[in-house]
Amino acid sequence: MSPPPAMPVAEAIRSAPEPADSKINTDILAVMGRPSAGYWALLGLSATAVGAAALTWIYQIYVGLGIAGYTHPVFWGAYIVTFVFWVGIAHAGTLISAILYLFRAKWRNAINRSAEAMTVFAVLTAAQFLGIHVGRIWKSYFILPYPNQRGMWVNFKSPLMWDTFAISTYATISIVFFYIGLIPDLAIARDRATGWRRLLYTALALGWQGTSRQWKSHTRSVLHLSGLATPLVLSVHSVVSWDFASSIVPGWHATIFAPYFVAGAIFSGFAMVLTVMIPVRRIYKLEAYITDYHFENMARFLLLTSLIVGYAYGTEYFVAWYSGVEWEKTSFWLRAFGPYWISTWIMIICNGVIPQIFWFKWARTHIPTLFIVATFINIGMWFERYVIIITSLSREFDPAVWGVYYPSAAELTILAGSFGFFAMLFLIFLKIFPVIAIAEVKELAIHDKSHGHHEPAPAAAGGKS
Amino acid sequence: MSEIDRRDFLKLVGAGAGAAAAAGCSDHVEKLIPYVVQPEEITPGIAVHYASTCTECPAGCGLHVRTREGRPVKLEGNPDHPVNRGALCARGQTGIGRTYHPDRFRGPMRRNASGELEPISWDEGVQLLAAEIRKAPGRTHVLGGEVGPTLSALVDRFVSAVGAGDRVTYEPFAPEALREAARNVFGVERTPSFDLSGSDLVIDFGSEALETGLSPTEHARQLAEARDIDAHPEGGARFVVVSPRLSMTASNADEWIPARPGTEGVLALALARATVEAGGGSPRHQTLLSSALAGADADAAAATCDVPADSIRRLGRALARARSAVALPPGVGVSSRRNVAAVSAVLLLNDVVGATGSRMSFLPDPPQARPSYRDTLTLVKAMEGGEVGVLLVHDSNPAYSLPRSAGFDAALSKVPFVVSFASMPDETTAKAQLVLPDHTPLESWGDASPRAGVRSLMQPTLRPLYDTRALGDTLLDVGRVLSAGAFPAGSFRQLLQESWGPGWTAALARGGEFEPATAEPVVLSEGVSRLEVIAPKLNGDGDFALVTPPHGFLYDGRGANLPWLQEVPDNVTKVAWTSWVEISSNRARERGLELGDVVTLATSAGSAEVPVYPRGGIRDDVVSLAIGQGHTVGHFAARAGDDGSSGQRGVSVLDLLPTGVDESGGRAWLTETVAVTSSGRSERLPMTQFSDDKRGRQLGDAVTLAAVMAGEPYGGGGHGSGHGEEHHGSTEGDPGHAAVQAGMLPAVGAAGAGHGEEHGGGHEVHEIREPYDPAYDADRDDPYHKAVPYRWGMSIDLDRCTGCSACVAACYVENNIPVVGEAETLRVRQMAWLRINRFIGDGTTDLVGGRTHPQENREELGETDVRFSPMMCQHCGAAPCEPVCPVIATYHNEEGMNGMIYNRCIGTRYCANNCPYKVRRFNYFDNQLTRWPEPMRLMLNPDVTVRGQGVMEKCTYCVQRIHVARQTAKDEGRNIRDGEVVTACQQSCPTRAITFGNWREKDAQLVKKTSDERRNYVALHALNARPGTQYLARVQRGKVEG
Repeated sequence: MSPPPAMPVAEAIRSAPEPADSKINTDILAVMGRPSAGYWALLGLSATAVGAAALTWIYQIYVGLGIAGYTHPVFWGAYIVTFVFWVGIAHAGTLISAILYLFRAKWRNAINRSAEAMTVFAVLTAAQFLGIHVGRIWKSYFILPYPNQRGMWVNFKSPLMWDTFAISTYATISIVFFYIGLIPDLAIARDRATGWRRLLYTALALGWQGTSRQWKSHTRSVLHLSGLATPLVLSVHSVVSWDFASSIVPGWHATIFAPYFVAGAIFSGFAMVLTVMIPVRRIYKLEAYITDYHFENMARFLLLTSLIVGYAYGTEYFVAWYSGVEWEKTSFWLRAFGPYWISTWIMIICNGVIPQIFWFKWARTHIPTLFIVATFINIGMWFERYVIIITSLSREFDPAVWGVYYPSAAELTILAGSFGFFAMLFLIFLKIFPVIAIAEVKELAIHDKSHGHHEPAPAAAGGKS
Repeated sequence: MSEIDRRDFLKLVGAGAGAAAAAGCSDHVEKLIPYVVQPEEITPGIAVHYASTCTECPAGCGLHVRTREGRPVKLEGNPDHPVNRGALCARGQTGIGRTYHPDRFRGPMRRNASGELEPISWDEGVQLLAAEIRKAPGRTHVLGGEVGPTLSALVDRFVSAVGAGDRVTYEPFAPEALREAARNVFGVERTPSFDLSGSDLVIDFGSEALETGLSPTEHARQLAEARDIDAHPEGGARFVVVSPRLSMTASNADEWIPARPGTEGVLALALARATVEAGGGSPRHQTLLSSALAGADADAAAATCDVPADSIRRLGRALARARSAVALPPGVGVSSRRNVAAVSAVLLLNDVVGATGSRMSFLPDPPQARPSYRDTLTLVKAMEGGEVGVLLVHDSNPAYSLPRSAGFDAALSKVPFVVSFASMPDETTAKAQLVLPDHTPLESWGDASPRAGVRSLMQPTLRPLYDTRALGDTLLDVGRVLSAGAFPAGSFRQLLQESWGPGWTAALARGGEFEPATAEPVVLSEGVSRLEVIAPKLNGDGDFALVTPPHGFLYDGRGANLPWLQEVPDNVTKVAWTSWVEISSNRARERGLELGDVVTLATSAGSAEVPVYPRGGIRDDVVSLAIGQGHTVGHFAARAGDDGSSGQRGVSVLDLLPTGVDESGGRAWLTETVAVTSSGRSERLPMTQFSDDKRGRQLGDAVTLAAVMAGEPYGGGGHGSGHGEEHHGSTEGDPGHAAVQAGMLPAVGAAGAGHGEEHGGGHEVHEIREPYDPAYDADRDDPYHKAVPYRWGMSIDLDRCTGCSACVAACYVENNIPVVGEAETLRVRQMAWLRINRFIGDGTTDLVGGRTHPQENREELGETDVRFSPMMCQHCGAAPCEPVCPVIATYHNEEGMNGMIYNRCIGTRYCANNCPYKVRRFNYFDNQLTRWPEPMRLMLNPDVTVRGQGVMEKCTYCVQRIHVARQTAKDEGRNIRDGEVVTACQQSCPTRAITFGNWREKDAQLVKKTSDERRNYVALHALNARPGTQYLARVQRGKVEG
């Protein structure tokens, strides 16, 4: 447990400079102000993408999965690729909120709210792909283990079963985590809002008054939820990786998959946070809160995870060669030089090579470079899943049924729709909820004032409203 | 705004819930209605079999038509029938589709003033035809395909009674040259028939004996029996095939001689001479050395045929030494203008090797009209000249199958009144003024006599679906109108029964009368010394000879409108639904042509655009285009577009051919050279297999004859599989093991020869595990099922498998497998539960990969290491598909089978990903709704569930047949006996390559088969999936020794 607070709470409140408090409130709540034309345009664009994807999906349910690009040996396609991609994106939020919280990495406070929001939205996006992927969505409740008159039970040996639990648990925890963290800020918003917003925030704030008893409960909850969420960061993507690793497909059947996927997930999650927060910071002038220091730290994370992921690529090839198993070797050889060579080299260059630029401090602190590299990583990580899933399936055991899959227009529409869905939720989030955790930023501000910038942060138990 | 009160709210909720509930049960309820009056012989749920005869080609195989509740659902071979002995080829299997074909004529029709066919009544139709014939009886002609004796006699009677002109019988592939050759060589007017049973050396000079030859099912069986490795420890009959391309038949040969097409006769004569020189033949044959065989010098023939002279001498020695050799004459694909001479040479060779009277016999002619191409062309001339007033066309589609340049279309337009008896629209009915549709064969009475001694009966197995009338009855009706006295009262059926006499009932039950016929003894005629065989000169100056083999399934084009025959991929190229032209890889490379590049083929008679299929297994100076596609009529399958609305499927060779005739007026197909020019376009070919490189994996293995004879155990190669280490018991000291450890793969041998040495040289032997754990203790491990006496399994003998795809077609029909069409085949989404993998040799384990989708073709000219291996669900004991299904839709049953519960499946498709054999198929669309238009749904097998959209399906080992046997066994208070369950694939197999049975019955055929340690292996054994299906490796007998 953490040591007792270094400063009594009451004193902290007294010493808090009132004007600064107001400025934090107004700065951050200003984001929620009247939307600009550009905002509406972006929202419209994402809604259009979602609409197109929804219509495609409905059509797919009606006529069948044949409108996707599946071919005989490749039974999983872009839907599963995109599913894994979004599950990966969902990792940064929990990592930032929970793990960095436990490690007392205070710099996280400026970005944790948006990262948590991204987690929730990414999980919601990913979850839909399970439905999009299956052949009979109208029977997909068969996968839920509950006593039923059909006398049916589920197969707990199946990794897809584990997946169902992992994703639903993760979605639940991340939504609860996100909401608990929001409560103090919702109260701030409530106190300043009028009209329907006031009603909304009143309901959502659950009568938050900022009493020390409430704060005590709140911080306890956050701590415990962090403890709960931390293993999930590792477990969810491990379980997703076992969807592949527990099969016998050459290219999937590898023990390295769990750490490899977790590192990849964090990698892609941080890249997505950067991709989203760089424009948000600029548009809403939040430079005072989300500083270059934050971005640099995230770049360091990207560098670390890029090295892990790159190492995993190397390991896969090494093991394929070292195993002496013909079909493993063939599978990996054809990955790099077969029909999917472009995807593989996009993956290696975007994820393994380009992020090495972060060895240089100027690259870590140069915002356009950060943005561009993060975008490359997003692309590279989608292709990583594409390479793992598609190339392995296309070159399996029986060469008589080797085949080649390409995503169809329907799959690409739904892929675009997933980005639209994510963006749409995030845009709405920007206007409904404080994009930065006000209370936690204030906490930082107080501590900075009390201890100077370079003091280690005290325990999180202190705070104010 | 009105307020909604509580009551209104509840009402709305109730209505909404009701509507939702109603919408949830959208399918309307259909009631099962029992028979009011139970028909005799029909017990609902119990199949009744009727014997009949297949009419899909002139071979005349016997059928057992399996009917359920009065409706045929499956055709099986008649085990009593001497031609097919219970087997049935792909064409025969799918012949059932004719009856339920959506294109069928619903009743008689006449063409109205605006050129459309409009329905009329039968009375009108009969009166109309009678009136037309009465106008000009002498100008009435009958043109039709080969029909059975009784119908043939009736047609003759009709022709003479009404005073009609000629009756011409036209069969596109009729072996007319055989008869002429028999006259040349033996001076007899008989068509020889060939029997491969008991032979020890078979040379096929291009008849394509195993696919579209004289009697493919019969010859395949006889050859397989003659080659049976257990009955003939020395390897049995050697099979030599002379063919310009690696056809399916050539793929099964021990030695493939890619002679220049058209020179088969020269080669046969040279072989005859070489045989006599090597001491074969009789003194009579010695005398021929100075006459007929004088010019047949091996060196000269070698130059003409492009075959090494050494090979000719070597084969000559082999033929001289052989006790029972037999040669088969050139078939359609290579029949040239010198075909009679070529066939004569083959008959002479048969005489030299002593086949006359036994393996080649001259039986009396069956009493039916014989086809004549010459007469057909004469009739076309007469039609052109306006000498034909009424033309009756039956059982034939000359407008498609005659060469376009014969001008049949134009000639048909000059005939004022064309009557067609076809049951389905075709190119000929498109020009007919009157259509009086015949029943389909399954609705008809009839008989057939493919050769003397085989009289086969056809009987109807269901009430005609539509308002059709048997040809015999129509002729009787019209005949009675025209000349009342000349025709007896009663129906064609009565006529048939009368002609069969007292044995009628027994014959009906048995399928016919089968008495061995006595062959006429023949001796070489004097004329044979004047036999002169020269290579033909082909028309035009193109770079390639145009070889036109019949399509393995479409035959002469009559199968093109049967969707299954379009869907099942070609046995050799694995192309479905379209035409392709085969060109050698060398020539393709020179011209920059890749798979699917469209070329223009131009001959003296016409031109056509076709995508190319480059392959190593065809001569450089030959291109090959199969007969059968390119129809302009036939909505359901014969034409392009899933709705058949427009276009043409593939091209017809007949556009490229002149009216080629041989010396005696028979049909010659090999007459043209062809110029091949790239069109610059490219299209994707609908194919199901792109690579024939098995990469040394355990799929379609082969062992050398030497290894088999030495009794060396073979556990499968297991190349490139480190997984195998843990359970095959190799040790660290094992060199193979060390190589695997070092990541070095043993050279598998680029060709079969290297492979053989490896097995000969102390190849490591893998323990083959039974599909269930030998340590399995029912009491301990499975107390709930301990009484289960079965573990089902299958053995597939690759030495017998010819790759003919009869099993594939049988599986389609038995298991209600939907045909997905060309567009879905392009996406490789065929639903076949059973496919035939085709590999060339062991392949390479080199890591080479093209950057594009490869079409790897490892064939080499003159090499025949072709591995056909049927692949279906292996019903693994440790099935990789089972644990990954989240909803237990696929599971293991207590009889060891891998079950599939369609209703549980939610379509995650993980099982298919995890299946190493890739035998699972997914319903991407609602195939069952969309692919079975009315009335095709009537042919669905009621014992097999139809599968809806979004579920996985796969081979079930024909579990429905097991259930039938189980019920019988239960009624009789016993277990299912060995051999009682026969799966559809096993039933159809002409060579009996498939054995189904129970692993737990120690004296079962299955257990006997799989206990052959010399050849038994498990596909991808290294994965330790413990399949219930095991394979017997193909035996490589090597080239024929001199």
